[in-house]
Formats: sequence, C-alpha cells, structure tokens
Amino acid sequence: MALVLSNLRETLFKLGPLILLVFICISEFHTQFYYWGIFTFNFQFIIIYYWILRDPDILGYGFVFICGFINDVVLSLPLGTSALSYLFVSLVAAYVRTATVRNSLFTDWFTFVVAIIIGNFIYFFLLNKFANADIKYTTLFYNSLFTFILYPFFWGLFEIYKKITFSRRND
Amino acid sequence: MSTSRDDFGIVIRSALLQRGAKQKFSLFVLILLSLFIFILDNSNLKPIKILRSIINDGIYRISAVSSSPIKFSGASKDFFVKHIFTYEENERLRKELEDLKSKNFQSSFLEAQNNELQNVLDLEKNSPYSVVNAKVILDKNSPFLNSVIINKGSNAGIKLGMPVLNEGYLAGRIVEVNFVSSRILLLNDLNSRIPVVVSPSGTQAILSGVGKREPSLEYLPDNFMLGEKESIVFTSGKDGVLFPGIAIGKVVLNDNKKLVKLFADPDQISFVSVALDQQEDSGAR
Repeated sequence: MALVLSNLRETLFKLGPLILLVFICISEFHTQFYYWGIFTFNFQFIIIYYWILRDPDILGYGFVFICGFINDVVLSLPLGTSALSYLFVSLVAAYVRTATVRNSLFTDWFTFVVAIIIGNFIYFFLLNKFANADIKYTTLFYNSLFTFILYPFFWGLFEIYKKITFSRRND
Repeated sequence: MSTSRDDFGIVIRSALLQRGAKQKFSLFVLILLSLFIFILDNSNLKPIKILRSIINDGIYRISAVSSSPIKFSGASKDFFVKHIFTYEENERLRKELEDLKSKNFQSSFLEAQNNELQNVLDLEKNSPYSVVNAKVILDKNSPFLNSVIINKGSNAGIKLGMPVLNEGYLAGRIVEVNFVSSRILLLNDLNSRIPVVVSPSGTQAILSGVGKREPSLEYLPDNFMLGEKESIVFTSGKDGVLFPGIAIGKVVLNDNKKLVKLFADPDQISFVSVALDQQEDSGAR
C-alpha cells in the first residue's frame, strides 16, 4: 500500500508541469491584467520551452499538441494555430538541447528569444492571414517582452521543482 | 561555412524526427498534423463545422468545471472585500437614499405622464425584446480576445449576430453558435465594431473596441463637441443586425479621446439576455 502511494505521489509530481499546462489552457487563468495596462505574458511558452529543453520525458510533444488544440477551442481561434505555435517553440527547445552540451540560465534565456519570435510570428501570421483578427502590435510586443523578462523567475521555480522531484526519485 | 550549414541541418533533422524514450510522436509528424487540422478548419466544410461545434461544446463544459476553483477564489475575495467596506458603503447608500427620496416625487409625476401618453398611443406595456436568459460559463480573455461563453446555443434559438444584453444594456453580440453553448464578443474586443448614435445630439459614430475596458467612438464629425448634458450612446441599428435604441454607455473624455464608459461592465458579466427578436411597436418607444 505504501509503495502504491509512493508511486502515485511520484507520478503526480512528474505530471505536475503537464497538469499546469493543461490547466492554464483550459481554465479561466488570465495572463492579462487591465489594471496594470501593459502587463501580459505567455505562460504556456515558458512551460513548454523549459520542460522540452530540460526534461523532455516530463512533457511530451503529443501533450503540447493537445494543449494547443484545447487553447484554440477555448479562445475560439482556428484549430491548429496554437498547436503550431507551441510545436515550433518545442522545435527551438529541441534544437538547443541537441546543439548544446551544457545548459545554463543564460543560454536558455537568450535562446528563448528565438523561440518567442518564431512562436509569436507563426501565431500572428496565421491569425492575420486566415482569421482576419485585428492585432495590436504594441500588445504583441509587451507580451513577448514580459514573457522574456519573466523566464528566469520561472526557470528558478522549475529548477527547485525539478530538484524536489529528482530527490524524491532517488529516495 | 558549409560545415556549419551541415551541422545546422543535422541538428534540425534530429530535433524534428527524433523521439525520446517517452515521446510517441516526432515533432515533424505533429507539425504536419496541426497544418492539416488548420487547413480543414479553414475549409468551412459543413461536416467540419458540425464536428468543431461538438468539440467546442465538450471542451467548454470541461473548461467551466476546471475553472470553478478560480471562480470560487474570486468570489471569496469579493465577499471579504465587500464586508470590509460595509460601513463606507452604508454611509454612501444612506446619502443616495435621501437623494432618491427627493427624486421619487418627480419620477412619480413622470410615470403618470408616461402612462397617460402610452394610453394615447395605445402601446402594449411589455419588454421591447423577446429574450433568452443565459449564464456565463467561461470568461477567458487573451491579450487579443475579449469574449465569454454562455450555456445556451442553437437549441435555444440563438443565431449569429444577435445582440446580448446585461441588465438591459448592450454587452456584446453573438459570434459563435454551438448546439448548447455560444460565444459573445464583448464590446471592448479589438474586433468589435458597432454603429451607434450619440444622444442628445443624434450624431452617428462607430463604437470600436480597443482591447481596454472602455471602447472608443470613431468616425465622429470634426465639429463634434460634448454638451453640458451627459452624452449617452445607443445602438443605431444601421448595420441591420442589432436593434436600434439599446443603451450602451456614456461618453467620457480621456486625453482628448472620446471613450465610452459601458453600462454593462465587461468584467462583471455573469448572466446575460440574448435578444432574439424585437417586439412589434417597440421601435416607437
């Protein structure tokens, strides 16, 4: 019984990032605040980029695809828009993982700029060309900027989370 | 130079095609699948629309359930804040009550006069619209979209473009209809454009969402000036979709921009009425 509970707890810990990503995509979790005027960020990009880069076994590409699909339905975007955007962020993360030997916060952070640019470019290109949605480029810029600025903060949180999960696995 | 290009090609190929120990699909396959779904969704084929409608209904329900902890925490916060400010609110309400008492005599007179005039015109005293009441089940904003999902769809007679009212004021219009759910595009969304008339001057304008709480008035005549009286914005019905005369908000000036403070606060919408039809003679009101 104790072994079953321990396994269950470990599985839940490992599923944490995936649960968080699904929850953000499907729930009313807001990353836009009117009161702060310009503050908006893309939490999904941060989660996907970090976990695909640092521990791809925790967040599979298939789940990234499904989360993008859910996000499109909830936000009423053409199906496949967010999925494509998230998968290209995953591609940059997978590229950086394959190309570099030793990762640090700074290499992760600065390569994340490329992921944000490509991810947002695909998102807005598809929305602009096919959904006839009006896009405010200042909002896009602030969204990208704050996503970039906040990355080290979440990087730190995820590192702590990873250490806890890893130490539990070794116990 | 060519070596670095080769290296780039090898790494990209590896990233696209490689699958980890627990990866069931490669990135390449999933990107192709996403593109295929995107093309299908944009093809506007009827079976695809029906399928999307079913998927929407299912995911909206799951989404409403998974959002309940967030809604509960928001409601708890409101509850505590309300209790903290009860004393101040009580004082304010007492003053308002005094004001209202004095206005009551005036309104009684106006009501009597109104009844008399209605009798003269022989109009029915009913609501100007036949409506379907609905509950907001999901309110998820993105930086580029301000819309809410309601729990009524084509099963309740809702159709695309119908006006949505909140406490009698225009809150938005229907932009997506599924069988048991619909999406309302709120007035402050970037994509929202509503033809309006500004009272009392009768000036025509377009109410455009700017992604912030207060939408702006566009295409006003150059000589438009705000009068001493409060300027109220109503739908003009010029688009042939929205009924004319629905109150929207009042004009406020902000940095020389003419914005509209909405009567139906887009952040506080919980229940709405979808106006299905306008009763006969209501245009005369």
